Amino acid sequence: MQSFASLTISDLWIERAERDLCKGLSFSVQSGDVVRILGENGAGKSSLLKVIVGALSPEEGRIAYSGEDVTLDRSILQQDALYIGHSVGVKQRLSVAENIRWYCPDVCTNVLHEALKSLELIDYMDTPVKKLSAGQTRRVALARLWLSQKTLWLLDEPFASLDVKGVELLEERIQQHALAGGMVILTSHQNLLSLASRDVMLLP
Amino acid sequence: MTYSSFLKAEFLVLWRRKQDVFNALLFFIIVVVLFPIGVNSSPEFLAPAAAGIIWCATVLAVLMALESTFKEDHRDGSLEQLVVSGLSLPLLIVLKIIAQWLVVMLPLLITMPLLAEMLYLPSSGFWALIGTLLVGSPSLFFIGVIGGALTVSIKQGAMLVMLLILPFYLPVIIFSTLAVKAAQAGLPYSGFLAMLLAMSLLSLVISPFMTAIAVKASVNA
Ligand SMILES: Nc1ncnc2c1ncn2[C@@H]1O[C@H](COP(=O)(O)OP(=O)(O)O)[C@@H](O)[C@H]1O
Ligand SMILES: [Mg+2]
Repeated sequence: MQSFASLTISDLWIERAERDLCKGLSFSVQSGDVVRILGENGAGKSSLLKVIVGALSPEEGRIAYSGEDVTLDRSILQQDALYIGHSVGVKQRLSVAENIRWYCPDVCTNVLHEALKSLELIDYMDTPVKKLSAGQTRRVALARLWLSQKTLWLLDEPFASLDVKGVELLEERIQQHALAGGMVILTSHQNLLSLASRDVMLLP
Repeated sequence: MTYSSFLKAEFLVLWRRKQDVFNALLFFIIVVVLFPIGVNSSPEFLAPAAAGIIWCATVLAVLMALESTFKEDHRDGSLEQLVVSGLSLPLLIVLKIIAQWLVVMLPLLITMPLLAEMLYLPSSGFWALIGTLLVGSPSLFFIGVIGGALTVSIKQGAMLVMLLILPFYLPVIIFSTLAVKAAQAGLPYSGFLAMLLAMSLLSLVISPFMTAIAVKASVNA
């Protein structure tokens, strides 16, 4: 993880389905920030995260990561970012442990076991993900937050389908990450006033 | 994610999907076996037609296998993870195709001696056939995967769209059967193999980039 990182977005214009989702949007995020993106359903919260991580192209605007302009080539940002979208990107045919090794190949077994224990997935380590529930599948994806060393977290509705304990666990982890100098941008309907240091509002 | 962890996961998934792979192989064998039964089982007819039959069956089996290349990855969101992994998407696609080629083509090649025997293909033609399959089939994969990426988010009629790439397969089929015919006639056929190799290399260079563009478009469709 980088000791100090920043993400600067300037004059961002995202158009999707012939509709402007945002125009002239600017904000910046720094180490220690937890930014929550607010907006109605369909306001473009998910699209904004996709644009930041480079899965979707904006019409206009600049994105800089730790001082480097990554507008055209997002790879520097991507190597340091962890993105979890609506479909969490967990392979259905692989087991929980195999999925984690796919994403974080260098993690050592003890650390893996610890993380799976805290996520209550340890008994399912060798179970194919397609036999898990939606909440458990999301936990498999969230294990990356414990096991990968990325600075920038982009989490799209990370609390969806999690139980109360899962929500608490995730809130705690997000806070730890921010304290350690990480950056978190998330979209959520949950009331996270205690958690988020700032809000970005997407107006329809 | 690293290139090696990606490749490892690809092989693991293919291993779990062995039923699908086996089905493609079975389909291939059935097509080849039905030919002598349905059309004409005399050696005079089959020996010259053997390479054509085997190549057509191969093309169909490869198309079937490629149609689903990205489907599962798209559904569970892991395709999106590849796009944003910070690794080179074209290179990941090359690795994916290499894994698919090994898993689909090796079993197919292993059945070849038996099928060639059934179609009365003389040994001169047999080695030419193996040669064309080894050098020519990579281009089938590299061209076909573009179609696989374009049809990721199409639920119905994906196979129909795949057929659109069939015309690009024609040169490969033509040069391959010509090579086997030349070999059977005792003529040199290395020129045809060189052509096939050139097509495979050309598609290796171009296709990963086109596929990457198609994948990026499909991820957000
Ligand atoms: N796959 C898609 N293809 C085309 N347009 C889309 C797609 N997904 C979303 N959109 C459009 O983008 C808008 C914003 O969607 P999204 O970013 O998912 O909103 P949110 O996450 O805030 O609910 C939607 O109103 C919709 O019109
Ligand atoms: Mg959304």
